[in-house]
Amino acid sequence: MSKRMPRASGYFRTGYAQDFKLVETRLERVSASLFVISLAIFPFVASPFQLDLACQVFLAAVGSLSLMLLTGYAGQISLGHAGLLAAGAFTAGILFKEFGAPFWVTLPSAAVVGGLLGIVFGLPSLRLRGLYLAVSTLALHFVVVYIGGEYEAKRGYSTGIVIDPPSLGGHAITNPRIWYFVLLAAAAATFFICVNLLRSRSGRAWRAIRSHETVAEALGIGVANYKLLAFVISSAITAVAGALFAYYRGFVSVEAFSLFLTIQYVAMVIIGGMGSLLGALLGAVFVTLFPYWIEAVLAALPGAARYASVLFAVNYAAFGLVMILFLVFEPLGLVGIWHRIQTFFLLWPFKHRPVAGPNR
Amino acid sequence: MQLVVNIIVLAAIYALIACGYVLIYRVSRVLNLAHGELMMFGSYLLLTTAWTFTGHPLVAIAVALGLSLVVGVLVYLFLMRKMTGEMVLAAVLTTIALGILLRGVMVIVWSAQQQYPGQALGFANPSIVLPGGARISTFAALIVLATAVVYAALFAFLRFSRWGVRMRAAGQNPLLAAQRGINLHAIYALAWGLSTLTGSIAGMLLALDSGLTGTMVLIGLKAFPAALVGGLDSLFGALIGSLIIAAAEVSLINYVDPLLADVVPFLVLIVMLILRPWGLFGTREELDRV
Amino acid sequence: MTAPLLSVEKLAVVYHRASTAVQGVSLVVKPGQIVAVLGNNGAGKTTMLRAISGFLGLDDAQVTEGSIVFKGMRIENRRPDKVAHLGLVLVPERDKVFPNLTVAENLAAPVAHRASRIERRRREALVYEFFPQLATLKGRIGGLLSGGERQMLALGSALVGSPELLLIDELSLGLSPVAVESLMHRLVEIRDGLGLSLLLVEQNASIALEIADYGYVLENGRLVLDGDPKRLLQHQDIREFYLGQATSGERKSYRAVKQYRRSRRWYG
Repeated sequence: MSKRMPRASGYFRTGYAQDFKLVETRLERVSASLFVISLAIFPFVASPFQLDLACQVFLAAVGSLSLMLLTGYAGQISLGHAGLLAAGAFTAGILFKEFGAPFWVTLPSAAVVGGLLGIVFGLPSLRLRGLYLAVSTLALHFVVVYIGGEYEAKRGYSTGIVIDPPSLGGHAITNPRIWYFVLLAAAAATFFICVNLLRSRSGRAWRAIRSHETVAEALGIGVANYKLLAFVISSAITAVAGALFAYYRGFVSVEAFSLFLTIQYVAMVIIGGMGSLLGALLGAVFVTLFPYWIEAVLAALPGAARYASVLFAVNYAAFGLVMILFLVFEPLGLVGIWHRIQTFFLLWPFKHRPVAGPNR
Repeated sequence: MQLVVNIIVLAAIYALIACGYVLIYRVSRVLNLAHGELMMFGSYLLLTTAWTFTGHPLVAIAVALGLSLVVGVLVYLFLMRKMTGEMVLAAVLTTIALGILLRGVMVIVWSAQQQYPGQALGFANPSIVLPGGARISTFAALIVLATAVVYAALFAFLRFSRWGVRMRAAGQNPLLAAQRGINLHAIYALAWGLSTLTGSIAGMLLALDSGLTGTMVLIGLKAFPAALVGGLDSLFGALIGSLIIAAAEVSLINYVDPLLADVVPFLVLIVMLILRPWGLFGTREELDRV
Repeated sequence: MTAPLLSVEKLAVVYHRASTAVQGVSLVVKPGQIVAVLGNNGAGKTTMLRAISGFLGLDDAQVTEGSIVFKGMRIENRRPDKVAHLGLVLVPERDKVFPNLTVAENLAAPVAHRASRIERRRREALVYEFFPQLATLKGRIGGLLSGGERQMLALGSALVGSPELLLIDELSLGLSPVAVESLMHRLVEIRDGLGLSLLLVEQNASIALEIADYGYVLENGRLVLDGDPKRLLQHQDIREFYLGQATSGERKSYRAVKQYRRSRRWYG
């Protein structure tokens, strides 16, 4: 279903227009406004380090939202996410290096390339499901990364491609604050695109396909078309994320697009909570900030210097551990935890919602 | 001739690793993507036992093998057992996370430097000259021998021993197996133990042959297309799949482009998924099990 | 009065916390007895068997009320293999053999917790005695057996564990009447020879009541009738709804026997 019940009791919807609203109750309006205001103020009160963190979170959010669309809503497992990011980044890089193309050419091109690749990644989904589909996307990831590596080797950029920052009317965008707003706009745009898609016919079709494909087909939903659509849209968005990533870092190289990057995005979707856009955002925040938390924790421990050399490994190990903990103990992710907290306060002093039980 | 030797050695490596994937998949429908890391963990265990039992290489090897069997069983008992009954994909993601955890732990404990268990054990690795002028290192030859022995042992176990029959039964119909008194957790633990053991044998021999490096995990990952091409629940398929992929990889490296090395197994995999997703010798129903 | 081997008391089983499949069902199986449980589709028979043999967890079902006591021990919510080790073995309705194992391997696979190796060999030989056809098929793959052979193999693999109580779900499904007759009589021989008890869940009421010592009838998850099989065979409602024999012997019009218009006597 597309909307949860409004939280305040005594609130009734009296017209269709209210059905469409994104924020309904006064509480929601207030919290949304506060959120937007804090987002707007943030770059002016934060340190450059925190600003960079925020930008990374926004970048991650774009990729995480697109993966959530594909996996969490349409139910198509994809382990090829890093490959798609690489495709977008390399498209931007190649177009810039070979043709000197400006960003308003490379970004749409990245989207197009992503969409086309989405068809390739999505074709196996017409025949395969679950594990085998995941495996096919994994294989395709390696192929894409290989092609990128070939380009680097053959054109002599073995250490990577350097990209100039995008320029608008002659001014290069290098100011971190401007980047913050650019990336915030990208993340917000992605979010609203996703919200819109999910409330539309495509969104309903995807949910149907995810819960029971055969029944969806029997209901007349063109399963093959919608599966491919999910892949195409998700891949296009992911490729744009990759291109933005390339511009933000100013640098493109194959090593950055490893299997671990894919797993990080999958972790965002899982830790955040499958089937929820809020989950994608929470997951993006969690996974992006995680290494910095670990670093901070390590620095506070006695004997910190000893760990400095293996910081990367500690990150790795801690990440694996957290992912395991979420998979085993909280499969509904952060959103699940959030809902449980909400339910606790909403229902208090009762503990459980009444559940339809056998007639006694 | 050297080409043929290279293919056989590579195929043996892939086959020895692939049987680990098949063992676990056949019995519990889980794809253990931590196999490469477990393999590497086994080699690190050998390194440690080599340092501990200096002067007694055979003891070191035996202890390392025993430990790797125990590690596999423990991984099942403490982690994967909690995921039985959940979606298969969740279990696979758990193995991926486990792999990441292991990799971090290995670097923390043993550092990321390249290690040489062969030196620690006092083994040399001379080249043997074969008829036809081809050369093969001693340990590469041992790998081929080990693969043959392991596969023969596994075939015999699964076909002729009572617990082998029970393992196959549990793989075909877990519900009925439980109804007939077969302790499924014990079977799964055994599968994980055997899988880690065979993987560790592969890892140890690889480390003895060419040193312990991070690329071992990549080799482990490349072996899983071999298992899939042959059919994820067929041991014989793993052998054939490994041969096919090794042949493709070595030939393409030699005649086309060395950079292809890491992507060839996945290209073959894609072709197989298009033509025959359940592999050459796999059972067809596997396809719809999510 | 011998203590019952199996005693189910006021059992209630609920699926998905919402739909009650079995409600207030009580039954008793004494040692050496053959008990028949009859009922149409959806009556809750298979659910009851699953609850007894420990298989509910997989279907998101729970025993919400009542108790199941086997040999003096409560066995609700125990693991299936533990229940099998106690001596309670289920022959399921579907997927009853291992399709890719041979007949001999199917008989070798079950784990008999309390039997020594010699006893185990003897049991396997006994199975071949009871089902001579299987002896000629030792090397045949389970999935390639005919329906009757498969049922025999399923019963055989249940017997190698030396069970004390055998639960059999829909033995007659998919078999010719001749095969069903012969199997049912074989079951009586097995009971007489080995002294075990049988709980038969059946839709084929006539043959089940013929060999049973006691009968129960389930409808919509509730127990509606029980008693001596011979008396059950004479009961009007059983005759009409299970045996297809109308009360007065003349042809009735469809309207008159339409089930929902008749009030069931057995509630009165």
